[in-house]
Amino acid sequence: MNTEQIAKTLVNESFHSRRLFVALFVVVNFVALAAGFFWPKSYTSSTSILVDDKNVIEPLMLGAAVAIDVAGRGKNAREVIFSRKIMGGVLEQGGWMKDRPSAVEQEEFIEQIKKRTTLSNAPGGGKAIINIDYRDNQPQRAYLVTKAFADLFIAEVVAEKKMEILAAFEFIDKQAQEYQHKLAIAEGELRQLRASNLDVRPGGEVELSARLTALNTRIENAILELREAEMKRASLEREVNGEAKVSVLATREGQFRARIAELQAKLDMLRLSFYDTHPDIVQLKNQIQDLRAEAGVQRERLEKAKPSERMDPDETVVNNPVYQQLRRELSQNQLTIDSLKSRIAEAQRLLREEVNRSKDPDGGDARLAELTRDYQINRDIYQDLLRRRERARVSMNLDSDSLGLTLKILEPAAPSPRASGPRFWQFVLGGLALGILVPLGLLYSRMQFDPRVRMASAISQRHGVPVAAIVPHLWSQEALIGLRKELAILALVVAATFALSATLSVVRFLGVL
Amino acid sequence: MSKIEKALKRARDERGNLQVVPAAAAGGRIVPWTALLGQQIELPETISRMGGNEGKLLSADALREQGIIHPQHTEEPVVQVFRELRTKIIQQSQGQNAVILVAAVSKGNGGSFIARNLGAAFAFDSAKTALLVDCNLRNPSVHQLLPNASLPGLADYFENPEIDVSKIIHPVGIARFRAISTGEFREIPAEYFVSMKMRRLMESLRERYSDRFIILDGPPMSDIADARILSELSDYVLVVARHGRTTNTKIESGLSAISHKKLLGIVFNDEPQIPWIR
Repeated sequence: MNTEQIAKTLVNESFHSRRLFVALFVVVNFVALAAGFFWPKSYTSSTSILVDDKNVIEPLMLGAAVAIDVAGRGKNAREVIFSRKIMGGVLEQGGWMKDRPSAVEQEEFIEQIKKRTTLSNAPGGGKAIINIDYRDNQPQRAYLVTKAFADLFIAEVVAEKKMEILAAFEFIDKQAQEYQHKLAIAEGELRQLRASNLDVRPGGEVELSARLTALNTRIENAILELREAEMKRASLEREVNGEAKVSVLATREGQFRARIAELQAKLDMLRLSFYDTHPDIVQLKNQIQDLRAEAGVQRERLEKAKPSERMDPDETVVNNPVYQQLRRELSQNQLTIDSLKSRIAEAQRLLREEVNRSKDPDGGDARLAELTRDYQINRDIYQDLLRRRERARVSMNLDSDSLGLTLKILEPAAPSPRASGPRFWQFVLGGLALGILVPLGLLYSRMQFDPRVRMASAISQRHGVPVAAIVPHLWSQEALIGLRKELAILALVVAATFALSATLSVVRFLGVL
Repeated sequence: MSKIEKALKRARDERGNLQVVPAAAAGGRIVPWTALLGQQIELPETISRMGGNEGKLLSADALREQGIIHPQHTEEPVVQVFRELRTKIIQQSQGQNAVILVAAVSKGNGGSFIARNLGAAFAFDSAKTALLVDCNLRNPSVHQLLPNASLPGLADYFENPEIDVSKIIHPVGIARFRAISTGEFREIPAEYFVSMKMRRLMESLRERYSDRFIILDGPPMSDIADARILSELSDYVLVVARHGRTTNTKIESGLSAISHKKLLGIVFNDEPQIPWIR
């Protein structure tokens, strides 16, 4: 089945079902005309709002000020625009509130407005364009409502933004003040502690332990020294006991004995070479004899003197120097020992004091550490808050100078003088076209779905049998006359339909109807 | 100008004066040609070899009212179609006469219309004659062409052994065109078709004149038994399917009844064409 065959068959079928064809044509045209007449006129007004979250000021103020994420707002523009607040404003602007509608009626109006409003988003490159289209059967109202939508939306977003920044600033400010107060208290406490506890210093714990260590070392050293001194004293005492108080170096007896010994030695020498009769020897013997006598006398004298213990000063008695020396050292040593002992006692006292102080829970050091910590934390937070507050202040200034404002009306709403939607002539033309297409489509579908054969070629294809002949309808003269009449009437009907369409188009164009 | 051409011209001139009886034509019914007697009618010019009695010939317009083509309707595409169909059959039979069964797929597909017009087309040719045999016993129609519906037909031939074949062949008002009606059957005698007598009748009809083409106006193919028997008696079969009346299923079941060797093809009848657009 090629296209040409189908077309030919369609023409034949149309002729065959001509009455149905014309009837459908007329009906479709009438429906189209009626639709064109009663189609509600609508006027569409549209506006677009540019939402830009990448403006010039942002990179400059990076870190110092925070721009509100307007693009995010663009995304939920639908919620904002259809919010009760804005819709209320729109109702006001659009003149719906003149008749003082009830709450239910207002709700209905809002629903209708929502249905007639089209919101579309065209995001891209950090920018977003919100298109608001609104259609109404009154051109002026369409314009007013669209304008109200754009204005109220921007006002709402800006106000919200302002409020947000202000709230943020106030919050930070409040916090900063609170921390300032806390800081002041911490400072006061710290000062008071310092005043009451002069020796406390920051880092007391470490110093204390250093001091303790130093004291311990000192004590140990002193004890060692003490031991040493005591040992030395013992040794000295022993030495002193063993030594004579005085030493007799040149007693007469002694001198005599020494002379005797000397002479004896000389005698022994001489005897080696001489006889005892030798004068020298004899002389020597005499001398020794004399000396021994002398020595005896001396000894007797000494022994007589002994019980009185009185030394004869005249005697050659002298004080022992070693003894003297030892006595001196001993007394020196005693001095050392005494001083060491007192040093140890002093150091131990200090140590006790230190230990006692560190054991005290209300001791100044722990308190100081705590207060210092509080102070430092408060100070850090306070400084941070101060920085933030300044940033918030800059953001607020930015906003009040409208530099951070990234919403603007790209294309303002304009009253549309012409109704949008299909025009009447479009209905007329559509009716004419559909008036032909609908019957053709029906005929075609009948060809497709009706099991009865309407194409000779379909038979030969289906059954593999040649078509011997295609016999057209044989018209009698009478029938031809009837057909002519019928066709004339049908043509008249079609022409009347055309005429009606044309007339109505003209009438409509001239604005009579 | 030859004698024949002169005669044709005269006939055409005379036809201009012809008046069709309005009452008969009004209903679109097929009018017995006798109703048109008394009017000026074209006279037979060629010699009939079928006994010479052509009866009164009907005019082209009168035939048209009966739904029968005429060579003078040159502007009718139907005429051209039947001429071509006729030529096709003659080519197929290689000049020999033949028995052609024309059977509709189902009732109302116009089998009789095709059969009688095919006969008329054969009769166009002065060297050929046509005989239409009404084999549609349940719904006969050929008798409408005859001047008198009660003329003897096939039934009389089968029931009366005395009767001669020539007695049941009647002229229909068209030159070189005869017809055999069913006659008046008292019962449904489908068995007649299988009888030897029927076979002999066919042979005698065929062999009597070598230029006579016999067209059997068969029953619808929904009547499978009759269609099959008649297709066996015939040389060629034409199946008639009418536009918008027949489903493929019916065509298929009809085709299954006949031998495809004999099948000449399908005649697609009554295609809607806008008459003035050729």
